[in-house]
Amino acid sequence: MTALIPFKKNETLTIGIELEMQLVNLHTFNLAMEAEDFLRRLSEISHPAEIKPEITQSMIEINSSIHHSYKSLLIELQAIRNILAEEARKTHIGICGGGTHPFQKWKEQRIFQNERFSSVSEQYGYLAKQFTVFGQHIHIACSNGDDALYLCHALARYIPHFVALSASSPFSQEVDTAFDCSRLAIISAFPLSGTPPWMLTWDEFDEYFNRLADLEVVKNMKDFYWDIRPKPEFGTIEIRIGDTPLTIEKSAELAAYAQTLVSWLLENRQHLSRDIYLTYLINRFRAARFGLNATIVDPIQKLHLSLAEDILLTCDKLKYQAIKLNNNEAIENIIRAVTNKNNDASELRKHYEKLQSLPDVVRVQTEKWMTS
Amino acid sequence: MHFLPKFPLHLNSITLLGLTLLLGLIGGEIAKRIRFLPQISGYIAVGFLIGSGGFNIVNQSVLANAHLFIDISLSLILFELGRHLDFSWLRHDLSILYMSFAESGMTFIFIFGVLYFLAGMHVLPSALAATIAIATSPAVVMMVAYDLSAEGPVTRRALILTSLNNLYALILFIILAPMAQPDVLLNYNLVTFIAYRLFGSIILGLAIFILIKFIAHLTGKHKGNQFVLFVGAVIFAIGFAHTIRCSSMLTLFFLGVAARNLDRQHTLMEINFGWLARLFFILLFVVTGVHLQLQELWEATWIVLLFIFVRIVTKISSIWLFSKSSRLTKRQSLALSFTLLPMAGVAIGMSNILIDFNPNFDYRLLLIITAAVVILNIIGPIATQIAFIMTGESLLQQNSERS
Repeated sequence: MTALIPFKKNETLTIGIELEMQLVNLHTFNLAMEAEDFLRRLSEISHPAEIKPEITQSMIEINSSIHHSYKSLLIELQAIRNILAEEARKTHIGICGGGTHPFQKWKEQRIFQNERFSSVSEQYGYLAKQFTVFGQHIHIACSNGDDALYLCHALARYIPHFVALSASSPFSQEVDTAFDCSRLAIISAFPLSGTPPWMLTWDEFDEYFNRLADLEVVKNMKDFYWDIRPKPEFGTIEIRIGDTPLTIEKSAELAAYAQTLVSWLLENRQHLSRDIYLTYLINRFRAARFGLNATIVDPIQKLHLSLAEDILLTCDKLKYQAIKLNNNEAIENIIRAVTNKNNDASELRKHYEKLQSLPDVVRVQTEKWMTS
Repeated sequence: MHFLPKFPLHLNSITLLGLTLLLGLIGGEIAKRIRFLPQISGYIAVGFLIGSGGFNIVNQSVLANAHLFIDISLSLILFELGRHLDFSWLRHDLSILYMSFAESGMTFIFIFGVLYFLAGMHVLPSALAATIAIATSPAVVMMVAYDLSAEGPVTRRALILTSLNNLYALILFIILAPMAQPDVLLNYNLVTFIAYRLFGSIILGLAIFILIKFIAHLTGKHKGNQFVLFVGAVIFAIGFAHTIRCSSMLTLFFLGVAARNLDRQHTLMEINFGWLARLFFILLFVVTGVHLQLQELWEATWIVLLFIFVRIVTKISSIWLFSKSSRLTKRQSLALSFTLLPMAGVAIGMSNILIDFNPNFDYRLLLIITAAVVILNIIGPIATQIAFIMTGESLLQQNSERS
């Protein structure tokens, strides 16, 4: 039997991110099966952060260090972006953001051969290759497991914000999906996706985990593909809902937004109601489908709200926290983007309208990430 | 019943051409079922069996009918090869250029040395044989990569190194081949002829590039249109280069280089010749097999064996020498050197041009090249397939590991 790791205590509200990146062929702009060789090349040079393999050979994952502020996170991400871009140019591949690759064929993807990914492939069959989608995970430190569970449920109200703000996957399998974030549909196919169970104390959660572990359904927290989940070994909560943005700067801004929001939620403890999940899936769907133009439903206040206005109101609430955490620049950038109804998905659609070619859209994505 | 055909049936050349393709397809499928044997080997074997060395089913008229297809397929290959020469990669990783200079330079120097000093051949035949030895068969590398769905760092390096060594070989050949004419003197006329062929071919390639850019601008970015545009441009380039006595090989190569490196507005698309290329490739290799004369093997003297041995050793050792600066693993370096061993279509094409220049040119040179092509046609594709499998870049490998 595998026991749940005790929740690591963190006293300060630090942040860190994981970014799943696309490796692309610079001739065809299709995905390139280069992860193994590229990771070996990166292992030969010194660099900040950690670069790891992901489920298929055309993906890599950047894990940032732990940061107290948006500024230091941004500096580290820019440094690693520059190193990755330089190494990629030497071996003539491209790296780009975006939640999906617009025209890759999932059946052509190759599983990265290690114990974990081979086991995922064995367990999930074709879903493992379809999992060639690219997300940003934001870790925010918590002082204990109870707080982590409180935040998992309190943040459920704001999940559509992260979906719409990060949305960068309008194209998939060669078509315009009409979604701003088409990546979520892929994740929903996994049996352990969705939301964490309605439990508010770590003891309850510990028991829940152990029951599933006893039944050999899960081995560790990685087996849960929830939109947001506690990560006891790091002492964090992990928001996993977002697409990988087109730039490092946007990734850092989203992490800053999450940190500021968590800080506000901890200082202004919300009364949690299970009713929040009444409209959770429809709100999540609308944010993915319509992006910043979505209308969401608040089941507690029984209101229909414009998602963009809701984000702007939230940013207004977060002003004090943003100054305190030195995140105000990031929040200002988010306000500007939302006011202009401008997310990465809308930008990619504009590029496609102009270029009329999906490989050219990926070329622009690649130039943008590697040189932004 | 006078309208019924008379027996035995006399099969016309179109029927035989179709039969050649069908048998080639079957041969390829049989080869595919044998581990480490590439489909190409099956095509060549079928070609040999139906040719004069085997059952003598195909005759000269079949080959004449196939000639146009062969020319188009070789030209598409050279155009594709030019497109693999990406200057932006070379700018960021000079070690590829050093590796390429080393493998081509060492191949030339050592083969020349062996033929001139050990075999006692004259300077020009030795230099021409060394020039032909530089070039790796692009058709074999591309076809094996295509058949195995090979993708990755070794596959990409194999293609750019093949592109570079064919470029050196083509340029050297254009300079040296006219000197093979009987009673030729190194005079003003010869120099201007060489300069005309060399720079004329490059300028023609660039001019056709400008033309296709203009047409692409008019017709838009549609895969169907651009497919026809490229095939049309390739056929036009073959004919026009021939008409103005330029090298069609170099013209097509530079058309590809320009399409890759000078299309700043990205007007041209990446077109996969797919099924068309497959059809042409099968025909190309079956016909290669038809031309195989195994008696060349028995006539292979120690010079031929030495030629092959030196070529293999220099290609492997030069890649090995620069593997560290290219940051390749030992396995990748060995695999990469294997992919550079095949020698086929371009070598045969160059030998034919030499015969055109001078039918009585040193017979030993032609013997060495044809015999070396026989042997390297057998071991080259196998070595290339092993290379892609040993680096794990072949989809075939992943699938077989899973099953």
